[in-house]
Amino acid sequence: MKQRRSVGKVLMGNEAMAWGIIEAGATAATSYPGTPASEIMETVCRIKEEHSLNIHTEWSVNEKVAFEVALTNSYLGRRSAVMMKQMGLNVALDPLMSSAYTGVRGGFVLIAADDPGPYSSQTEQDSRYLATFAKIPVFDPSCPQEAKEMVKRAFELSEEYEIPVMMRPTSWVCHSRQGVVLDKIEGRNETPSFKKDPQRWAATPRFRYLLHKELNRKIREISLRNHPSPISAPGGAEMAVVASGVPYAYAYDVVKAMGLEERVALYKVDLPYPLGQEIDELVQIHPQTLILEETYPVIELQIGCREGVRGRLDLTIPSEGELTPDIIAHLFATLLGEGVGEVRIPPEGGRKPSLCPGCPHRAAFWALKKALPQGIYPGDIGCYTLGLNLKAVDTCLCMGASVNQAAGLYHSFKQGQKSVPPIVATIGDSTFFHAGITGLINAVHQGASFVLLILDNGTVAMTGGQPTPAGGGPGKSIQIEEVVRGCGVDFIRTVDPYDIPLLIQLLKEADHYARGEEKGVAVIIARHPCLIYGARDEKKGGGEIFIGEECDLCGLCTERFECPALCKGPQGGPIIIKTLCTNCGACLYVCPQGAIKRV
Amino acid sequence: MDLQMVIAGLGGEGIIFMTRVLVEGLYRCGQPVISTETHGMAMRGGSVISQIKIGDYQSPLIRYGEADLLVGTSLEEAHRNLPYLKEGGIIIKNTPQKGVHCIDASAIAHKIGNPRGGNLVLLGYVLAHLVPAISIEPFLEVTGELTPEKFLTGNLKALQEGWQVVLQGNKEEDKAEEGNQAAREN
Repeated sequence: MKQRRSVGKVLMGNEAMAWGIIEAGATAATSYPGTPASEIMETVCRIKEEHSLNIHTEWSVNEKVAFEVALTNSYLGRRSAVMMKQMGLNVALDPLMSSAYTGVRGGFVLIAADDPGPYSSQTEQDSRYLATFAKIPVFDPSCPQEAKEMVKRAFELSEEYEIPVMMRPTSWVCHSRQGVVLDKIEGRNETPSFKKDPQRWAATPRFRYLLHKELNRKIREISLRNHPSPISAPGGAEMAVVASGVPYAYAYDVVKAMGLEERVALYKVDLPYPLGQEIDELVQIHPQTLILEETYPVIELQIGCREGVRGRLDLTIPSEGELTPDIIAHLFATLLGEGVGEVRIPPEGGRKPSLCPGCPHRAAFWALKKALPQGIYPGDIGCYTLGLNLKAVDTCLCMGASVNQAAGLYHSFKQGQKSVPPIVATIGDSTFFHAGITGLINAVHQGASFVLLILDNGTVAMTGGQPTPAGGGPGKSIQIEEVVRGCGVDFIRTVDPYDIPLLIQLLKEADHYARGEEKGVAVIIARHPCLIYGARDEKKGGGEIFIGEECDLCGLCTERFECPALCKGPQGGPIIIKTLCTNCGACLYVCPQGAIKRV
Repeated sequence: MDLQMVIAGLGGEGIIFMTRVLVEGLYRCGQPVISTETHGMAMRGGSVISQIKIGDYQSPLIRYGEADLLVGTSLEEAHRNLPYLKEGGIIIKNTPQKGVHCIDASAIAHKIGNPRGGNLVLLGYVLAHLVPAISIEPFLEVTGELTPEKFLTGNLKALQEGWQVVLQGNKEEDKAEEGNQAAREN
């Protein structure tokens, strides 16, 4: 095999999109981290550093903030991008809807990454629906190289029509790796100019009607030039396949693998919304047309002629779960009247995720269960959702909901019966900044009474260790204690969760405060840096941990504490896996016999 | 080359790093390659797989029963993902057990003083099987570029050790063959 150097570079889809943003000459890029989108912004920051580029980059406190900061740069005639995961777009939906009406000046690209499956999200919602809801065009890339090109096309389309444009990659585009050809960086830096135009930027409802009319004109014009492209269209094809995003790539591979090149006409859609009417003609000339897209029927719903259309609406395709190459192969075989062959059963079981060895959250959850075993524990979004495994998380709704659910529990119990149980909400530091603060203000103001345990590991750990407002940045760092005090909380304690006895004592005091005569929200900040992203090689003082002879094989430490470094050994008793153990010592407090000890 | 490969294991075992080295190295050898991996909640010690397709492919996902090669950084996960493997496909496992394509990568990593380098030992072994005609150089180069300074020597050594296991094995087979030859001649 001859070796040759390729011109491109292997990039993850998210890195490729970051290069698209840079090559297009964006001067502002903002984001809040979330799988599968996080690496886009990380890469923008890295390229900015390596090439000394003049771009405003920020990890904003939440997606609404990120959206509005980037949007305003575009109002000033400069290219801007904002990146988030699909749930984040729910948070930024307000400015999205309104910005479609105001329109933009410099190209404005919103990347909302979806998670069919879902693998790391609360829903497998299709952000393209929100593009149709807001009436903005949406691109749907099928691979990293294409994702980079589409970002640049999105900027051009956005500028041409002065409209926000969405890019909607899915997990398997974001996290695919492929050789990507890099182009030159445009290096635009338009002089910011704000052209005052109150009827546009500050339109009252009377003028909003006109802006809506204008938006409808734009979207209609874009639709007139947007049609599915034929990839292979043999005469006499028994079936047309119209596909967008990763399902297009699956369809391409499966057609080849099954040898269906002469029987299937394959069409690709780059811009699933707004679609022109040509797709109706395509449907009419084929006996049947299969629509492949994730995860909701966006293309399908725009087809006027429904005869022979197969997809999600007629339940040909499952309405939930991701579309896999296996499902597509099965669909092709069924629709073309072929034998389906052996259907393989996907792997079952597998190990569920758990908190890392030495994770400070585990110690905090253990203390919580010990201190207030009869409590109700509203939880939140982050690594610490895994407190589920320790039975210390009872709810998980969306970012910041734990605080409001704790308040809701309190009001409900108080109205409905005499005694209120211990209520302890847990929330991470970044989630607290993102959407917890407003809830805390509300809870205090509305007279709710519960314990709020802020799990502060100093970083956004779940998504790869991005910074929070408490850390160093271009501006001031914001201290959680001061914010909490400013929200009107009188009971505030800070503790290192590794000190389990002290945390247990504080939790009892806090509960006593919340359910006693004083009443009010009691906040405990359990602060210890994340072991992966905060204090990587931290080794706590003291000797190694070992299991003493007192062990009576009760199994409590291996089953209930679930530290990956503390496992059931071949003899049934617990063993310490030395390569994993961080020596944090939290397990010393776990064994009822006191058998877990330090040398 | 036309090959579909699955790497299966647990979060924290370094599957993403293996995939990066493999894919970037193959790309530098001029191979068309596309891959994908699990991120986010699925990490944190949970089951993780990555999929690598070399050849004319547009999508990174592999159909069940189509993988030519299944690599397990942990035994349990290798077995659990068997539905991916095609009939006659090869399975390479990190395990102290003896058997065809069983390699105790974790033990070798310990022995060379890089206890967390089992993933690269395994990758070295895989490479020696996968691309015997290619030199290990591009993969060492990529490993070097992706490794932080203080783990550099350990990681390069780990990759080479895995590669050597195969070469040694081949040499021993050759020796045995030579021995047989000699015996026959005598």
